[in-house]
Amino acid sequence: MNILKKMKKIGHKESEIRDFCIQTIRFKKFLENARALLDLFEDGREKALGEYIFDRHYVVTLIDSVVERLGMMVYDACVLLPESGEALYATYDTHKRTAENLIDFSGFVKKNISSGDVTPETSKTVEPEYQLLSEVLQWFNGKDAPLHSTVMAFMKQIFSKVVQGQGPNEIIKNRPLFENCCGKIPDMGIYLIDLWDDGVALPGGKSSIHDFNSIPLNHLLIDTGARSVPNGADWVAAVGEYQLSLNSLRADFQFRLVTLASGDADADFIFVFADNAAILDTLLPPGFHIENSGYGQFAWNLGISEKTIEDSLMIIGRNLFN
Amino acid sequence: MSKPLEVLLLDDEPIVGRRLKPALDKIGCRVEVFEDPREAVARIDQKEFDIVVTDIRMEGMDGLQVFAHVQKKWPRTKVIMITGYAKIDLAREAMGKGVFDFIAKPFRPDDLRQIIANAAEELGSPIYNSSMSKEPVEA
Repeated sequence: MNILKKMKKIGHKESEIRDFCIQTIRFKKFLENARALLDLFEDGREKALGEYIFDRHYVVTLIDSVVERLGMMVYDACVLLPESGEALYATYDTHKRTAENLIDFSGFVKKNISSGDVTPETSKTVEPEYQLLSEVLQWFNGKDAPLHSTVMAFMKQIFSKVVQGQGPNEIIKNRPLFENCCGKIPDMGIYLIDLWDDGVALPGGKSSIHDFNSIPLNHLLIDTGARSVPNGADWVAAVGEYQLSLNSLRADFQFRLVTLASGDADADFIFVFADNAAILDTLLPPGFHIENSGYGQFAWNLGISEKTIEDSLMIIGRNLFN
Repeated sequence: MSKPLEVLLLDDEPIVGRRLKPALDKIGCRVEVFEDPREAVARIDQKEFDIVVTDIRMEGMDGLQVFAHVQKKWPRTKVIMITGYAKIDLAREAMGKGVFDFIAKPFRPDDLRQIIANAAEELGSPIYNSSMSKEPVEA
């Protein structure tokens, strides 16, 4: 029997539950924008290896795309955490200026090469477009770039702020709400909340518990078996058919897993955060990119096949719940 | 020994000509590079090229105008369009009008060499592309 058949979902009649869902959906959008930024970094790195022919227009478009996505990520962060808006937008403006300076500099280099002001050796060995792309990659995530000046450093700062802002106190604050809506200790110790795809439009019809299926949650729990939870629930999971946002409700263990498992490798991802230093090294299967921050560990795996996402969730589920 | 393939390469971004010419020389093409479309068109008036590779978006005269000029003057010549990602729809539309193929920037030289090999095959002058295959490249 499908393990999910035993579980009961909380609907979203209560406005607080709807708010929780909206925050969860916004956090997923936030991750999607972060993912798009990482894809842009990767695209630039691939082109810089020397095998591709590109022009200045490509690099300028890449810079513009990064600025646009970063702006979307900052916007999402401000929706999740309005009090951090001013500081985040100030840093974002700094990055916009860096982007403008990079684009202007490319014009400067082009002009000087065509007017003969640059030595023949320079113009022969480094094409201005490659030089510009190299500088852009430094701005994205360069090892030689000044500390905290890269887009990646800013992304980590935003992540930390958002995750801290939605930390244990925020999630635990909702525990009585989940308890009231559920009315009993939930199956598997997981409060299950119905999620919908679009943060703007609420679902039209009443969702049927009997038809309940969440592919990622199913894979997460498939290998765990039934669990006795006499002391109440430690988890809340917001679920849709292809999405899962799992949050710890324990004050001493902050953990968050967000995944999309739609079968489209270009869109699917797993994102994990844990405040307990180094836990992700043992919790996650190989293939994850793990970043350590002062606040905890962030990990992600992008562009993954259906099989990999299933296997990864099964391993994480086993390690978390057994 | 077969006659080298005569290729005119037109792109107002100098990097494209600088990097593509050696790549096409390697597969036995004789390449003339232009950055100014008007100069390229003047050269086309003088000489029949087997293949014209042209950017779509250029100052003064765009790739579609260059294509129309080639089509009128040398109907046998194959025209290949280089396009930025945003202009792909335009390039597809151009293919309906007789452009042989298009390639979107950024691209690998091998990607263009394959298209040129396909065009050469259609012209009845197959070329050997040692970087891709030991055999004549099939269309």
